[in-house]
Amino acid sequence: MHIIRVLVALFKINIQQELAYRVDTVVNILTSIMWLAWELLGLGIIFSNTNNIAGWRLGDVLALLGVFKIVNAYMQAIAWPNTETFNQGIHEGTLDYTFLLPVSSQFMVSFSRIVIWNVWNILLGIVLIVIGLFSAGNAPPSWINTFTFLVLIVSGALVIYSLWIVLITLTFWFTKFDNNVTLLQALMDTGRYPSVVYPVWLRVIVTFVIPIAVATTVPLQALRGELTWWQIALAILVSIVAVFLSARFWKAGIKRYSGASA
Amino acid sequence: MLNIYKRFWQVNWAEQWQYRANLMMYLAYGLVSPITYLAVWSAIADAQGNVNGLTSANFAAYYLTLLPVDILTTCITIYYLAYKIQDGTLSNELLQPVHPILTNTLVNNLAFKILQTMIFVPIWIALVLLFRPTFTYTWQSLLLSAPAIGMGFFIRFLLESTLTLIAFWTTRVWAIYHFDTAVSMLLNGAFVPLVLLPAWAQTMAHLLPYQLTLSFPILLLLNQLPLEQILLNYGLQVFWLIVLYGLFNFVWRQAIKQFSAVGA
Amino acid sequence: MSNPFPIIVENLSKTYQVTDREGGFAASVRGFFKRKYQDVKAVQNVSFRIGAGEIVGFLGPNGAGKTTTLKMLSGLLHPTSGTANVLGYTPWHRSNDYLRSITLVMGQRNRLSWDIPAADSFLLNQAIYRVSDADYRKTFEELDQLLELGPIIRKPVRNLSLGERMKCELAASLLHRPSVLFLDEPTIGLDIGAQARIRSFLKEYNQRRGATIILTSHYMADVTALCERIIIIHEGQLKYDGRLTDLSRRIAPYKLIGVVLKECEACDLSQYGTLMPSEVEGKILLKVKAEETPSIAARLLAEQAVQDLTIEDPPIEDVIGRAFSDARTFAQS
Repeated sequence: MHIIRVLVALFKINIQQELAYRVDTVVNILTSIMWLAWELLGLGIIFSNTNNIAGWRLGDVLALLGVFKIVNAYMQAIAWPNTETFNQGIHEGTLDYTFLLPVSSQFMVSFSRIVIWNVWNILLGIVLIVIGLFSAGNAPPSWINTFTFLVLIVSGALVIYSLWIVLITLTFWFTKFDNNVTLLQALMDTGRYPSVVYPVWLRVIVTFVIPIAVATTVPLQALRGELTWWQIALAILVSIVAVFLSARFWKAGIKRYSGASA
Repeated sequence: MLNIYKRFWQVNWAEQWQYRANLMMYLAYGLVSPITYLAVWSAIADAQGNVNGLTSANFAAYYLTLLPVDILTTCITIYYLAYKIQDGTLSNELLQPVHPILTNTLVNNLAFKILQTMIFVPIWIALVLLFRPTFTYTWQSLLLSAPAIGMGFFIRFLLESTLTLIAFWTTRVWAIYHFDTAVSMLLNGAFVPLVLLPAWAQTMAHLLPYQLTLSFPILLLLNQLPLEQILLNYGLQVFWLIVLYGLFNFVWRQAIKQFSAVGA
Repeated sequence: MSNPFPIIVENLSKTYQVTDREGGFAASVRGFFKRKYQDVKAVQNVSFRIGAGEIVGFLGPNGAGKTTTLKMLSGLLHPTSGTANVLGYTPWHRSNDYLRSITLVMGQRNRLSWDIPAADSFLLNQAIYRVSDADYRKTFEELDQLLELGPIIRKPVRNLSLGERMKCELAASLLHRPSVLFLDEPTIGLDIGAQARIRSFLKEYNQRRGATIILTSHYMADVTALCERIIIIHEGQLKYDGRLTDLSRRIAPYKLIGVVLKECEACDLSQYGTLMPSEVEGKILLKVKAEETPSIAARLLAEQAVQDLTIEDPPIEDVIGRAFSDARTFAQS
């Protein structure tokens, strides 16, 4: 398909870009390791004062952190860089060139930059999940659970992606809205810890109003085999609806940008 | 001289006002970590009664005091200055007969701070109503903490501005900034009240200036410090201000040399 | 049989609404509660037809509506009213087939990615525009030869000079062999040599490929070298559509006679025509009405000791400048 060919070309460009700045890539990976050490130190301090957070043991929290790292890799690798390019494009008028291309503008705006080194964060996340599950005494997940887990990671990322598209599209109405995605990242960051610790009002926000919990807690529950088929289907349905609605909103945004009447 | 500051104030205030939507986002982002940690520690404290003597109401008081103190002492220099150094627009400011950082950048920080505080007050009231902390403020503690917060801000300002100057030598300044952020968050009381840190970390925290910008003013406000501690920390603030000011000036002079040698 | 007019524009209009913002504190508080809007008629009832293979110059002062018109024709903007038909498509419907047959180059804005070599951006474009490997190779060789690209495409775009960058931008925009080119100030900021190369490239490209080109530029050299036909847009309205040479005849019907006399230091030739400032030492410039030129020239030759006599057209900048500033000159015809 045409879109796949374009995506492959984009990957090639971004990988070449990465390889051209090797020192930066190494620095980024080292920084990522430093933050991981920081987070582990933090967890160490917490668990030196207790042995569970609202019923979640250290292993459970580690696994959740791993899922968070994987989903957050999307934010770091794709959402934030493309936000920067988009905002710049609006300010300098170069966004017009994106609209001249014979390919979906939503696609180009979403994926023209892919910061490849974040694959490292995905690897770290997987390691954390494995260690977390093991130390919490869980049995190794079955193939079905692993498959469901992967499916729900993708569908969770699609929910986050749809939220990102909505925030980006808002820029067409509120031009000085540079930090639009900061709010999304702020809510995402609550996914580091199990949502049960948060007060009810915050829990409701991150589960129903802006369904971030769908992206982190739910896949982990699937991996541990704690979800029913209905719940899995619901999560997938939420992501399909989210992608559909956000795409419609983007189209409305373009109409406004190009001065089409209503 | 006062005129110069006034002029910079007008420009920076207008600029920050334009970006008020950004500011609200930045504020929202700044709320997440303290609220997250508060939620985690409260959950633990509720489950086992207290953590090292601290109840969940104590934690609420700590973190809800942390929020305004953090806003008052936070420094945004690197976001503002690093790009200007790297893309060369700082050269315009270097041509002016005033020190760009001690005037423009400082005032930029202050304008940002005041605007943020204005937006933050109603949010803070809402959070207090939601979390119901036990505040232990007294008139004396409020009065005493004002200079502590002021000096805390200047310590942070000098530290971070010095760090930002590294941008004159390398583009890796952000990685260094990340490292500094990680260390400071651990040792200034942003992550957890210092009493809960392991002993070695507590020692490090008291040897470094970070806790003087956050933990000290918080504990002072909450009236949890005996008089000797208050005086000791005040003394440390003055000490570090002098040291950091000297360091800042030194690095600044080196930066100017580097700048004129290499060019924009 | 393909339409002889690839570009047909009828009564195209675009009106913007801008907020009416006064300065000062009181005004901004008022503005917070009640917004005042103002209509800006960027383009008003513009109509024209452009034939296949023509190179047409769009001229007009800044803010006249040229860029807005180009944006409508390339599909970026929806008009407020009117129609346009380019290669059989309505531009603002933005069909992919349409987008593959046109290109828009904005001289002030870069389409190429800053940090990567142009060659890599080219390959991305190939994928996006669905150019086959064979076609791509052929087109690339042609562009490489015409533009003399050479090794610059291997360097990151940010390391290129302005002229090199523009060459790469042009190449990138033509890889998919569009049949209609919209060029908005393509030579802006370039040095004389680079400008000349771009001009000769466009001429060559137009001859080889028969591409239809609309070009806006503030450099008269671009216009005189490339455009036989020009369209003048002023304050959103089309003021003139015709040949460049006809324009001077119409609104600046004078010629310049340059005289070098054999001897005579303080000779006064003001009886023959209006004295104009001359840049050349010893050469006297006289401005005379176009129809009187032959007779005055004859008189000069007969009555004066003339060493050298030239007859020049008014400088094109003068003509165009007049066209921009004096709307009344158009009301005459």
